[in-house]
Amino acid sequence: MLTTAITVDPRAYDRERVGFFRYGRVADKVLITNEASEHLILTEPQFQAFYRGKINEGDPLYPELQRRGFVREGVDLDGLAGRIRRKKAFLKHAPHLHVFIVTLRCNQACKYCHASRADMDAVDTDMSVENAKKAVDFIFSTPAPVLNIEFQGGEPTANFPVIQFVVDYAREKNRYEERELIFSMVTNMTLMTEERMNWLIDRGVMVCTSLDGPADVHDQNRPFTGSKTAVFDHVVSWMDRFNAAYVARGLDPDFFHVDALMTTTRASLTRGRDIVDLYLSRGLRSIHLRPLNPFGFAVNTWKQIGYTMEEFLQFYRDTAAYILEKNRGGTFLQERMASVFLTRMLTPDDPNYTDCRSPVGSGMATLAYNYDGGIYTCDEGRMAAHMGNETFRLGHVAQSTWDEVRAHPTIRALAVASINDALPACVGCAYKPSCGIQPLHNYMFDGDLFGQRPRSRKCQEFHGVQTWLYERLAADADGSDERIFRRWTIQRSRPGTVPYPPVGAEASP
Amino acid sequence: MSDEPLIPNGLSTELGARSIRFEVGEDIYPLDVIQGAAYLFVDRAYLFLDRPRDGRVTVVLKTRGPTDPEALEALAGEFANELLNQALRKNIGESNARIREFVMARAFFAADGPSTIDRLLAQLDEEELAEAPLDIAVPWQEPRNG
Repeated sequence: MLTTAITVDPRAYDRERVGFFRYGRVADKVLITNEASEHLILTEPQFQAFYRGKINEGDPLYPELQRRGFVREGVDLDGLAGRIRRKKAFLKHAPHLHVFIVTLRCNQACKYCHASRADMDAVDTDMSVENAKKAVDFIFSTPAPVLNIEFQGGEPTANFPVIQFVVDYAREKNRYEERELIFSMVTNMTLMTEERMNWLIDRGVMVCTSLDGPADVHDQNRPFTGSKTAVFDHVVSWMDRFNAAYVARGLDPDFFHVDALMTTTRASLTRGRDIVDLYLSRGLRSIHLRPLNPFGFAVNTWKQIGYTMEEFLQFYRDTAAYILEKNRGGTFLQERMASVFLTRMLTPDDPNYTDCRSPVGSGMATLAYNYDGGIYTCDEGRMAAHMGNETFRLGHVAQSTWDEVRAHPTIRALAVASINDALPACVGCAYKPSCGIQPLHNYMFDGDLFGQRPRSRKCQEFHGVQTWLYERLAADADGSDERIFRRWTIQRSRPGTVPYPPVGAEASP
Repeated sequence: MSDEPLIPNGLSTELGARSIRFEVGEDIYPLDVIQGAAYLFVDRAYLFLDRPRDGRVTVVLKTRGPTDPEALEALAGEFANELLNQALRKNIGESNARIREFVMARAFFAADGPSTIDRLLAQLDEEELAEAPLDIAVPWQEPRNG
């Protein structure tokens, strides 16, 4: 529910003394936020006094209100503008995340697959070297100073030669371009070989795999096509081999290790602690407690693997609390979605997380290149095309120029639908400065880019996670949760999230 | 429908089996406040807005599923409360509109340049130089007047 649950008297607002703020209930307290992502958590009497302009200069709260721009007297407007500019620095940059769908072929049939997989003999869904070359040329025609090429599928290693071509060709081009070039790959590990592993490590391609939980959970969610052979053992054994190989090369395991993505199904809901323990045992520093999206195969399997958003949020809160407990015991593990929100809540920066941003990253921070050379706003846009809807197609690597793609009407529509300063419910929401919008999720769910916030699962998810974080901060008398939360805001280059250059750094020509 | 108003102070309310009907005066709650409040209930109710006569807006909240009188009454109270919150938000937004526009313009359209302090110091330096008829403060490498 997005209603406010605070009793206020609008006539009592002191418009002469109190600056702009948004507000909302957090447990028994009231959160206030503003455009510069400043926040304060007030008691109810403090809040009632605050908006009535009755917190005076002598009050210990006053300097904090003033420093964060909540009162008008002595407000540093240039400072506020600078903080907003820094928060939105990503607006200055062209897409940094370039997703290559190098094949649709896959040897697994995951119950929630979004990727429009094809059988292993469907070689006509492999990206050709010719399209791959043109896609790389297109990427280098954009002005982004950071380029992250991410290989996805299907199972991308099913078309390994094209991955090798793209990496070597892009590296060669970059000798003259001198961009920050990052490679990553999302793989199920089942087609991995020693030779491929060494090649990927030598070329600096970071690897991310799917790991949904302990063997029973993982194998139930992600079976091989037409076989009952267990997948889990492949995944963890290759994770261990990669990690050992990084160490053998003298690389810091804090930065060089196989990352993992988990998808929450109904089987996960009671296994949060087991999943966290598994992630820690595999040397992972980050876990993303991702809910299931009701698209792709999950539409048909929803009755078997789906759940309500309330059930997911209960799982999230319990599991995230366990992760905090582990951190308090001296082990570092970050919850990824929390870290995105916390970076916005507690630091001057924005993590530029493309799936939760305002405006959204689709087409503006990320582009996807389908196996046939089609350019899409993002992987979900490409998936919509496989369902017969080409709304999110922006062009083709052989015909389109960067200027045509960046000015495409679909990108403009996505921007309008995801600027949360102008969306009903968001405009008054206390979480607006730290939140983001997913118009494609609205589109897939409601057939409408705008959707309706109170009915949106994404809105419920983002709202629920931020409520949990603010509740922890509101009850954090000794500051121990905040100390851990601040460690979670440390930036690392990983698929889907790339730090952008500091404010003032200009794009390469 | 009951004729007994649930919530006084400018709002008349009627409870039905699965619906609540409010009549709201636009002199107290402008239309955008009413719409803003109504929007937050779309997950729980179907909303029907009408303007039966000038200055009056009716809002009918019809619950999406079966309900009981207590839940309906709570929903009515929540809607009335949300009207107040939306009215406060409107006041805050209107009172700060010009400042926010100024700050946003500074954030997104001002060129990245020296800070306010640096600009003031530069301005003072210029003024000092302008007031020195003999150009004593001008570095000797630069050509002097006359």
